[in-house]
Amino acid sequence: MLEVRGLQARYGDAQALWGVDLDVLDGEMVCLVGPNGAGKTTLVQTIAGLHRAHSGSIWVDRVELTRMPAHKVCDHGVATVPEGRRVFGHMSVRDNLLLGAYRRTARRDYRTTEEEVYGLFPRLRERAGQYAASLSGGEQQMLAIGRALMAKPRLLLLDEPSLGLAPVIVDQVFDALAAVSATGIGVLVVEQDVQRALSACSRGYVLIEGRIVTSGSTDALRATDEVRQRVLGM
Amino acid sequence: MNAFQVVLSGALLGGLYALMAAGVSVTWGILRVINLAHFGLILLGAYLTYELVTAWRIDPILTIVVTAPVLFVLGAALQWAYDRLNIVEFNSLLVSFGLLIIIIQIAQDIWTADHLEVPRANNRYVTGALTLGRLSVPTSRIVALLLAVVLLGGGHLVLRRTFLGRGMRAFAQDRTVAAAFGIDHRRLSVLLGGAAGASAGVAGMAFMLANFVQPTAAYEWFGIVFAVVILGGLGDLLGTLLAGISVGALTGVISQVWSQRYVTVALFIAIIVALVLRPRGVFTRGRTA
Amino acid sequence: MTAPARAVRGGLPRGLLILVATNAVIGVLGLLSQHLGVTEYNVVLVSTVLFWATQATSWNILSGFAGYFSFGQGAFYGVGVYSMAVLTGRHGVNYLLSIPVGGLVGGALAVLIGAVAFRLRSLRGEIFALLTLAVPFILSAIALNSQAIDGGVGQSLPTPSFPHWVPNFQHLVFLLNLVVATIAFAVALAVHRSRVGRGLAALHDAEDAAEVLGVPTFRYKMLAIVLGGVLGGMGGAVWAVGHYVIVDSVFNLYFPLLVILICIAGGRRHWLGPVIGAVLLVVLQEWLTASNLGNHRDIVLGVLLVAIVVFAPAGLFQRLRAHPWLALGVFLVVFISLVASGFYADLDALLYGMIAAVIVAIVAGAPAIARRLPSGRAASPTPAPTALPGTGAAAGAPAQTVRASSAVPQRAAQRGGGRVLVSIRGVSKNFGGVRALENVSFEVAEGEIVGLVGPNGSGKTTLVNLLSGAMPPDGGTIFIDGRSIKGLAAHKVAHAGVARTYQIPKPFASMTVLDNVAMAVMFGRTGASLPEAREHARRHLTTVHLGHLAESPPASLNLHQRQLLEMARAIAAEPSVLVLDEALAGLNPAEIDDAVAVIQRIHAAGISIIIVEHLLRVLQQLATRIVVLNRGALIADGAPAQVLNDPTVVHAYLGRQRA
Repeated sequence: MLEVRGLQARYGDAQALWGVDLDVLDGEMVCLVGPNGAGKTTLVQTIAGLHRAHSGSIWVDRVELTRMPAHKVCDHGVATVPEGRRVFGHMSVRDNLLLGAYRRTARRDYRTTEEEVYGLFPRLRERAGQYAASLSGGEQQMLAIGRALMAKPRLLLLDEPSLGLAPVIVDQVFDALAAVSATGIGVLVVEQDVQRALSACSRGYVLIEGRIVTSGSTDALRATDEVRQRVLGM
Repeated sequence: MNAFQVVLSGALLGGLYALMAAGVSVTWGILRVINLAHFGLILLGAYLTYELVTAWRIDPILTIVVTAPVLFVLGAALQWAYDRLNIVEFNSLLVSFGLLIIIIQIAQDIWTADHLEVPRANNRYVTGALTLGRLSVPTSRIVALLLAVVLLGGGHLVLRRTFLGRGMRAFAQDRTVAAAFGIDHRRLSVLLGGAAGASAGVAGMAFMLANFVQPTAAYEWFGIVFAVVILGGLGDLLGTLLAGISVGALTGVISQVWSQRYVTVALFIAIIVALVLRPRGVFTRGRTA
Repeated sequence: MTAPARAVRGGLPRGLLILVATNAVIGVLGLLSQHLGVTEYNVVLVSTVLFWATQATSWNILSGFAGYFSFGQGAFYGVGVYSMAVLTGRHGVNYLLSIPVGGLVGGALAVLIGAVAFRLRSLRGEIFALLTLAVPFILSAIALNSQAIDGGVGQSLPTPSFPHWVPNFQHLVFLLNLVVATIAFAVALAVHRSRVGRGLAALHDAEDAAEVLGVPTFRYKMLAIVLGGVLGGMGGAVWAVGHYVIVDSVFNLYFPLLVILICIAGGRRHWLGPVIGAVLLVVLQEWLTASNLGNHRDIVLGVLLVAIVVFAPAGLFQRLRAHPWLALGVFLVVFISLVASGFYADLDALLYGMIAAVIVAIVAGAPAIARRLPSGRAASPTPAPTALPGTGAAAGAPAQTVRASSAVPQRAAQRGGGRVLVSIRGVSKNFGGVRALENVSFEVAEGEIVGLVGPNGSGKTTLVNLLSGAMPPDGGTIFIDGRSIKGLAAHKVAHAGVARTYQIPKPFASMTVLDNVAMAVMFGRTGASLPEAREHARRHLTTVHLGHLAESPPASLNLHQRQLLEMARAIAAEPSVLVLDEALAGLNPAEIDDAVAVIQRIHAAGISIIIVEHLLRVLQQLATRIVVLNRGALIADGAPAQVLNDPTVVHAYLGRQRA
């Protein structure tokens, strides 16, 4: 469903991505791992339209999204859970969710989607009227995922969903992601907690210095030297 | 004059203050632009009202049909420029201060430094009053308050209850994430800037119903408008309306009990106290983050 | 980048000497002007420049150095003006005596404003600016309403008498302005080059971080606003000497506008910026008046304000400093040739010369051209990093060896082996009715590394904030080295021996990596001078593997490197306890190993550590003891193996991924 071909991205003179190829199929959960500064966040942001691609192409469901501004990319079924959650702290939990349904196609039946999200994260229903800033870190992460799901995405991008969360909460987050991908949504997760990512996803890509150095099933990846040395530090 | 009369006519005057403050509050709260040029837009609204009434001999309220769209365009263009040059927060304060000075100078070149007022023959609001028993209220203030209730109340509902409004509030907090959910910040901010401009047109008209205008009037609005904006809470239109009415009542009482001259002092002390006690606005409900 | 280095190299006394000597020469030339063929008009012009330069300098000490923008400069100036008017006009006080009195009144007003504004964290940025906008309005109302000051009719002044060696009245005003301006420049120079100046720059960049590193931010801001108030008041008093009648319009908005414009145009982070800005803008203004464009003065100033903020927000001083001789040369060539041609008035020639110099300096500073100019300071190359950021090379071999060597002291540091450094006793904290911490007690002994863990919202960060003195507890007491930190400001807590890092790094953006660390040494317990501090800072940077990036700006560092910089800054304060608040968040495993090695080195140097961390692997490698918080209460405290197998902890925190 997501096809990235030969993607290059830059920050001024510095090149962050050097020809990345990457695919995510329907209902597949794929992880992207690599050292800090390898360009993982850049890749996710470029797919989401938050960063401009220098060259190469990005396709979602056979529609080319390369260099489309973020607010239009969203219309083609791509939703993002940004690094550090970034919920709208001064808005209620419910307003955060409804904001997720801002795009026209999602607005139509937002009530149904809202119920589905509450089904996935019952805690959010309990806290619907509270300011998002008053939620704990784990609840905010759930809200960020719920908000993305409200956009009725075909592809869900997550940047570091475990960041700053207690292990017990990370369990819940990854359980929820498994449930999401089971409904047919493609999921691409960027994760520093490599062990966790490799055990939760079926396939993975290793990004080092802006290049995909290896990819494949997560079981195979765990065995490769590249991952063991440069990412896992073993 | 009895005490109730003083408070009431002051509170009604608050409608005008709220109209003037609405645009400053939303652009500051949502777009992070502290637009001092908004005072210039109100000034232009006032002069435009004067010109139209003088030329066409029509009821001043009807001039909104022309002034609001014209100032919508001006406000939108201004916001477009701020957005393009990425002028927000402190820089916007400086840049818009520069723009305000330019607007005032231009106004002075066109309309001179004299006091101007709408021809009285066409302005039945300036002398009109509504009498309720022993109370008497100038019609101009009632008109201003009604306009404020409709405009700010409506704006409040749009911000709270619609997808568009939620988009604006979200965008105020985090542009990048908002964009990822389909919010086109250029379009929204130009729209919001335009709406603020249109409100300046209405405020300028409401001002002309009962006042003289001169170029430096813009400076005289600073104190009261910022008091209303800060007391009301940035971007909170309902708060702005309530703050406008309270500030109006306060100024009424102070000018009655002491002197007109102490109004500014009292207002600024009110701002300082408000900033100390309720930095997010006196009328803002709920917790602070 | 090399700006701070240059500023200090000159040395304070020499700088002051040059300044005073220069101004003395200007003074003598002014007095002899009639014999030198200089017109009276030019004396007045210089006098005006000096007046505005004084006001701009006064504004710049707080608003430029510390970044607290004020619209209230007119207030200090205004009270100075009225002090002079009332004292000489009504009470027959000598005008020379009234000048310092004007300064005192300005200073007193500054104390009042500072006492209100700086007590509140919320009064920063635009809010502070608007607050100061209010002050002149209030003063104006008071002056108008008070019969003892103005009473709405203005206040006239007597003509001052002056000694016979002063040629005339204009020369008197010139001399007074010169003296006050010299004082102002000297104060700004001294502040800029002193610890206070460094502290103000640090709080400009990141106020919270500056405070926890030991910068007494409140005191420094008060000092800055009071110095500004005194200088502004003195300048205002001198202004009044030159006028016969004072009306309340001295509190107008045009005044702060021009002052701000001068400082933005000149440059706000150096003491010379306002001086350069004053020369440029006053000459421009005079030229407008002389060219009969005075009516459009406001428009020109408004356009300038917009243009400078948009296109050259850092000010001209930076650009001129990069190519001082080029700019001076261009100025002299244009000025002299225009004057010599005979077609231009002096003022025209002066303005055109300055404009030419500014344009050349700006163009020479443009990146494309600066690269080609050999003397271009802007193009000074930073040392090439020896290893690519975040790659295996930076994190690899040295880290491994360090880990092996530091294992020994770690094992030696057993619980109870040293004296108690931190003692937290029954501490509670509420936020608007929500209990963040409830009766938490534990101790940290010398040589320990205590892991502080718990689910999100369990109160870990609150505890860190209490420990660093950022906020006081509602109940209970915290002792550092046996001393209660109750009521101590955060910088005092830092001096008591607590250093912390922030989850999101907060470097001082205007300083190099080296100076970021040197700041912590300067304001730490030893209070070293800047050169000494830089020596120490190099050592600390090596400890955290950042030695190769010493001269880089913090903005060029990646996340991992910024977190290492946070650590270097924290240990540079020479603490006895270091609190690391999720200092490893967002790092990948290889970088985590590197960071763990750094932490072990820090520990080996004799610093006890409290580490807030979610990664069990890190805790297992580092912690000698683990403390677990859950919903604000302490639920476990003990050896890592024991705590991580505790059923309560597993249920509340660990979940599936147990030890």
